Amino acid sequence: MPFFVKTRSLLRNLFLSRRVEVDLDHEVHSHLELLTEENVRAGMPPEEAQRAARIELGGIEQVKEQVREEQLGSWLRSVISDCRYGLRQLRKNPGATAIMVFTLALAIGAATAIFSVVYGVLLRPLPYTDANRIMAVFEVNSKGGWSHLADPNFDDFRDQNRSFRAITKYQYGVASVSGASQPSRTAAASVSSDFLKVFGIQPILGRDFSSSDAKKGAGPTVLISYGYWKAQLGSPRDLAQAHLKIDGAVYSVIGVLPAGFHFPSDANLWLPTDLGGENPSRTAHNYYAVGRLRDGVTVEQANQDISAIARRIHNTSSEQGDYLLKDGIVLPLQDSITGTARSPLLVLLGAVGFLLLVACANVANLLLAQASVRGRELAVRSALGAARARLVRQFLTEAFLLSIIGGGLGVLGAYWGVAGLVALAPENLPLLDSVSVSIPVLVFAFLLSTGVAAGLGAFTAARATSGDLREGLGEGGRGQAGSQGSQRIGRVIVAAQMAITLVLVVGAGLLGRSLMKVLEVNPGFRVDKIVTMDVALPDADDPKSKAHQAIFFSSLMDRLKQIPGVRKVGAISNLPMEGGLPDGMFLLMTQNEVPKAMDGFVPLMQQKERLGSADFGVATDGYFKVLGIQLIRGRIFDEHDGPNSPHVAVISQSLAQDRWPGQDPIGHTIEFGNMDGDLRLLTIVGIVGDIHDYGLDAPPRPTVYVNLFQRPRSAMTLTMLSDADTQSVTSTARGILQDLNPEIPPRFRTFSQVYSASLGSRKFNVILIGFFGIVALLLATAGVFGVMAYSVSRRTREIGVRVALGAGSADVLRMVLGQGLRTIFIGVAIGIAGSLALTRTVESLLFGVTATDPLTFAAVTLLLVSAALLACFIPARRATKVDPMIALRYE
Amino acid sequence: MNSEPTTLLQGTLDLLILKSLVAGEMHGLGISRRIQQITGGTFAVKPGSLFPALHRMEEEGWISSFWGDSENNRRAKYYRLTKPGRKQLEAETRRWGRISWAIGQALEAS
Repeated sequence: MPFFVKTRSLLRNLFLSRRVEVDLDHEVHSHLELLTEENVRAGMPPEEAQRAARIELGGIEQVKEQVREEQLGSWLRSVISDCRYGLRQLRKNPGATAIMVFTLALAIGAATAIFSVVYGVLLRPLPYTDANRIMAVFEVNSKGGWSHLADPNFDDFRDQNRSFRAITKYQYGVASVSGASQPSRTAAASVSSDFLKVFGIQPILGRDFSSSDAKKGAGPTVLISYGYWKAQLGSPRDLAQAHLKIDGAVYSVIGVLPAGFHFPSDANLWLPTDLGGENPSRTAHNYYAVGRLRDGVTVEQANQDISAIARRIHNTSSEQGDYLLKDGIVLPLQDSITGTARSPLLVLLGAVGFLLLVACANVANLLLAQASVRGRELAVRSALGAARARLVRQFLTEAFLLSIIGGGLGVLGAYWGVAGLVALAPENLPLLDSVSVSIPVLVFAFLLSTGVAAGLGAFTAARATSGDLREGLGEGGRGQAGSQGSQRIGRVIVAAQMAITLVLVVGAGLLGRSLMKVLEVNPGFRVDKIVTMDVALPDADDPKSKAHQAIFFSSLMDRLKQIPGVRKVGAISNLPMEGGLPDGMFLLMTQNEVPKAMDGFVPLMQQKERLGSADFGVATDGYFKVLGIQLIRGRIFDEHDGPNSPHVAVISQSLAQDRWPGQDPIGHTIEFGNMDGDLRLLTIVGIVGDIHDYGLDAPPRPTVYVNLFQRPRSAMTLTMLSDADTQSVTSTARGILQDLNPEIPPRFRTFSQVYSASLGSRKFNVILIGFFGIVALLLATAGVFGVMAYSVSRRTREIGVRVALGAGSADVLRMVLGQGLRTIFIGVAIGIAGSLALTRTVESLLFGVTATDPLTFAAVTLLLVSAALLACFIPARRATKVDPMIALRYE
Repeated sequence: MNSEPTTLLQGTLDLLILKSLVAGEMHGLGISRRIQQITGGTFAVKPGSLFPALHRMEEEGWISSFWGDSENNRRAKYYRLTKPGRKQLEAETRRWGRISWAIGQALEAS
């Protein structure tokens, strides 16, 4: 009951406030009359009686106000009235309000958009059950680098660890799949048996891999994603008849995984590993590994556990060398996925934070200017009894209104901005799909707006209500309010703004210069006019199928050469700029030293003078011609290099210099059979130019190229140098492949697409931080202009007096500019110091410039100072136009 | 804004108002005079304290109000005790009893 009564009273107070007021008024008046009557009865004359009654009552309005304060909802009502009043204030200065709302919307919107990327990529838990318990496991080699796991090492980790409930290894790639609705290149992973256990899922249909599925020689089985089951297979309930032809072999579909599950990356198919048996080498790093921690085991404990096993392997293995693991590492899967994306994103977040500060500084300055105009109003309210707390609340309310409106608009903008960011983001940014304006992002935007409101409100309120407000009554009459104090604080804000802007623009400048330096790097190959075509034939190990692969590619390339406009055709195992070629150790060897089997190499690997390390690429001679890779000495492959003639290799210049310094490598023979299983020696016949195939900002890697027609391979990328239209080349080439083998789905791109994608993340950072820098620069310039213009308008009378006393316009100009310059220089000085301290955080993103690049610092300082001077100059000129007669009479 | 220091302990005014209404419905002035009377003139409740308390207590549901005519035929707002009000009076009385006993003990202790 009491609750009901209270609610009724609250609603009555809020919605029937007029009736409540009338009732209260009647009650107090009736009380007064009763009192008067009492006094009359006591024998007072009527007038005296009324006076005494009023004294006892103590003021009708005061009593009513006291009752109002006690009423339920009085607080809410006063907030509403503050809001109404605040909105009226904001409407009174529509120009300033619009600028403030827009500024806040821009900054909060930008911060929200960037945060949504940061949240989606770095913070949002991965979409797996208890995802924070899933760990990635890597080997650590003798140089401290992380590498994938070799089969026997993984087996030891799996069998000897006490930290993981389940641990699984996997590989990932693109497979040619037919047998579904149409042939396609589909993301596929090969995984070991505990894969589903690690992720805590069960097939929604069918079964998991059994232990016999993963044995050598087992009938091939495959698990498929829910999406693939629906879209490609038409969601059959019965999987008995479901088969897929994957890279040439027929697989039985045994299970469908839950909707939405994809790992690694966007895999749709999961095949068992080791159908062909395990690789016995401890230095063949072929697998990723993930595991789910046992309950109660910490990441730290798991690390010690795995590390101990790894060191044991290191101490006992016969395969000593740089490629043997020395240690192991365990880290949360999420960190391992987002590893390289983390620091650029945090830099972006920091940059947008700076932008927000600059924007808030502008709004604070505008609010301060308004507050000083309102000095009179505050004085009156204070004189009428408003407590300081009440006035402070009024300022907070106004700041809150501004921020909420600005923040609301900002969030709307962020929806649009996030779509733009996702489109602009580099393809290799992990977890990009999970970037959206989600609930946590909205909460962030709300908290940010509230924080901004609290900061701005508290700041303005503290400035505006400090000291004796009632003085405003005296000073206010003269139109000279906006005391020295508030102008000084305005200048401090502007200096801070300049400083922050400088840091931001220096950061943008450094990143921009890095991008330019990267673009100046000669990649070592041509980019234009090249169409690429990825083709994956069925995988095969036996010599006969391998020979067929070579024949297939040979005839495919012969026919591609016939396409009108196509000048040259080549093939390479992995395109440059796409993560590079696999690397390994090779041996310098002569013909009669070659052992019969892989096992024989282990002792040879101990002889350091024989060892060399290089990337391993499979190519055709056409590849070097299409990409314009320079032949430095010797020759490239030719038609005499058949499968049965001596196998030859072409090496890159850096390998020649590294491994054969001061010698001629041509004619030397090497053993690199650990890369493709072919133990025949390779005779070096030529040296080609270095290429930056790991990206322009990475040094070229020593590389051995072998001939596709001697060392066939199932998956190749064909490259066509063509003057014709890409579209027509693509469709003709597609037709040719279809004609040769309709079950193989190709993928076409232009090489320049591949090339620009490799620059994507750099461009992304430069564009965004550059954008933030420009906006901050505009805001800071506007801030300087605002403060100077305000100061000049406040000093009109003073300037008038100076002019009347004989100051020339040059003197006035110097005075005003001088004041502005002091502010600017202080800001710039602090900004330079701040930049020197902060640019270190972007050091890892820089290329070819140091974090303290003097040219960037000088250029940015010059830019900022000129913009700010321009902003000072306009008000300063206005000051010189002051007519002393008008200025003085104006008083 | 209430510059007059209240002479009543927090919560005591509610108790006195509730107590005075036990005798029957009364308007504000009546309650004020009644309190004066039953406390032997110790407490004089000013309208500035009385009315806020009355309105608050009505919102709490302890008393209810209605407009009626005074003995001299003037319109006046009358208050009367409700059922929750009676319960509240009992509770407050018990509480006050404990407090006064405790304070008494404390003052007597040497």
